[in-house]
Amino acid sequence: MPGIIDVSQLVKTYGDGTKAVKGISFSVNEGEFFGFLGPNGAGKSTTIKILTTLLQKTSGSASVAGLSVDSDAPKIRKIIGVQNQDTVVDEDLTGRENLVLQGQLQQMHATAIKERVDELLKIVDLADAADKRAGFYSGGMKKRLDLATTLVHNPKILFLDEPTTGLDPQSRAAIWAYLKKLNEQGITIFITTQYLEEVDRLCRRLAIVDLGEIVAQGSPGELKQEIGADSISLGFENSSMNGGDTRKRAREILQNRFDRISNVVDSDIGLTVYAKNGSYMVPELVRAFDEAQIRLSTIGVSSPTLDDVFLKHTGKRIRVEEVSSANMRGMFGRRRR
Amino acid sequence: MSFFADAFHLFVRSMKKLVRNPILVFFSLFQPIIFLLLFTQLFSGLGRFLGAGVLSYTAFATAGIVLQNAFSSAFQSGTAVVDDIKSGFLSKMLATPVNRSAILFGRLLSDVFRVVVQTVIILVLAYALGVYPATGAIGYLLVIFTVAFFGLAWSGISLALGLKTKSAETVFGIAGAVTFPLLFMSTALVTAGFMPSWMQSVSTFNPVSIAVNAIRNPITGCNVNQTICNVGFDWNTILQAFGVIGGIGIITLGATLYLFRKVVS
Repeated sequence: MPGIIDVSQLVKTYGDGTKAVKGISFSVNEGEFFGFLGPNGAGKSTTIKILTTLLQKTSGSASVAGLSVDSDAPKIRKIIGVQNQDTVVDEDLTGRENLVLQGQLQQMHATAIKERVDELLKIVDLADAADKRAGFYSGGMKKRLDLATTLVHNPKILFLDEPTTGLDPQSRAAIWAYLKKLNEQGITIFITTQYLEEVDRLCRRLAIVDLGEIVAQGSPGELKQEIGADSISLGFENSSMNGGDTRKRAREILQNRFDRISNVVDSDIGLTVYAKNGSYMVPELVRAFDEAQIRLSTIGVSSPTLDDVFLKHTGKRIRVEEVSSANMRGMFGRRRR
Repeated sequence: MSFFADAFHLFVRSMKKLVRNPILVFFSLFQPIIFLLLFTQLFSGLGRFLGAGVLSYTAFATAGIVLQNAFSSAFQSGTAVVDDIKSGFLSKMLATPVNRSAILFGRLLSDVFRVVVQTVIILVLAYALGVYPATGAIGYLLVIFTVAFFGLAWSGISLALGLKTKSAETVFGIAGAVTFPLLFMSTALVTAGFMPSWMQSVSTFNPVSIAVNAIRNPITGCNVNQTICNVGFDWNTILQAFGVIGGIGIITLGATLYLFRKVVS
């Protein structure tokens, strides 16, 4: 079944010979919350620009809602909402005027615009500030307004390029909450971000790109599983810690009764066991040690995070840009006409 | 029909931005008003030596000042486009079904509107200083039309520069470097008879001279050299100017359209 976004062997080579995208293929299902991750310069923004008809591809095919990005660009523009990495609102216009203008550019009817704008202002909590100029808004308010402008025409698909970068944690949480709600209402969301915890929580599937190629894709769970082992930390009660004896006995039990364990190492409180699907092993472990009369004081399982997944596939840790740099750009970078 | 609706919405946006940044209007009007109030007084003695010598210098210079104003505000057009490119607003517009040409047309429409309003302000001030239109209300309408036409053609240069360099500094720099030489080597502030002969030759081909002559005629009612007045409309001068401005406009707006399509695609 074709997805709402279908990309096959997509290539983008810029005029100067830079190969930004080197033949990527992926597909996003309707209603999905899809994460598109990668280090800076991996080709994320280039891919988004091609999918949102802002950039011509070099070769391969890409379609959005069954429409070709080459021949059906005007139709695609009517059903997508696009949010840029930088917050883009017209600071000389009020929040309401920004939204109305967006509705006009989407060629909606005046009455429909008015209704929708009132509704959106409430949704993004800007009703009180609606008639103030956006230039006086805080960073979080501008971002919410920016998000609202992408929603005026009730798009089927939202493309979001780093929608929360540079925001304070509270504003960030608010944006993610809106996105979750939108997705629950059936809007497909295609997002790039550096915040992996949120991806883990919200994205049903994701793809990791590096150097213009997709290096991994799947659900967050699947990708984390690929990493292999969870770590299970076992702490033994003091009374049963007779020097190395308890550890030794515990190791024997682990060796004899469990075959999925990849490694066991000593820790301060006892042992750390590495194994696939560690959480499923916990009941058996508890039972086995209980039978051997080794008393456990603690047992904890930690799974690999998306950060580990990212590290494995790209060799880099994802770096969240400092809030200050983005704010500085906002404060000093804008030149008034 | 979406073309006109889209262009109109973007025209309204530009107008709102302009009205909400009155400092910009102030700065672009400041210079012409200083010229009108002070420069013309400084050279008020010059009137006697101009052609037939029946004109006040203020009446003579009004046309040059009006044109200078069209010049400087048209040059701001390109910086507004650079702003939209840099802020990402252009990309945001391009991700909507908005008519591509309407983006450019809305911009030009607001440029023209602005030049017209500023021209009216200068003409009203000049009127208060005793500059009465020799050819009446129709003459002034013609002046406004010519200035708007000139402003449109000149906006094209600024827009093309902005689209090509994507740098407001470059647009301002080139504008500054070009404005005064073109203005001083033209009949904007003196008649050709006052210039050394080499400059007269430059002035003859200077589009600023050609445009300013067409603007001056309806105001003063004199011929180009101001030797004979009460000639009414000097259609030769006016139509020649329209031809030249039209030619410039086709080139500059053609270049703008070409560069804009490159940016858009």
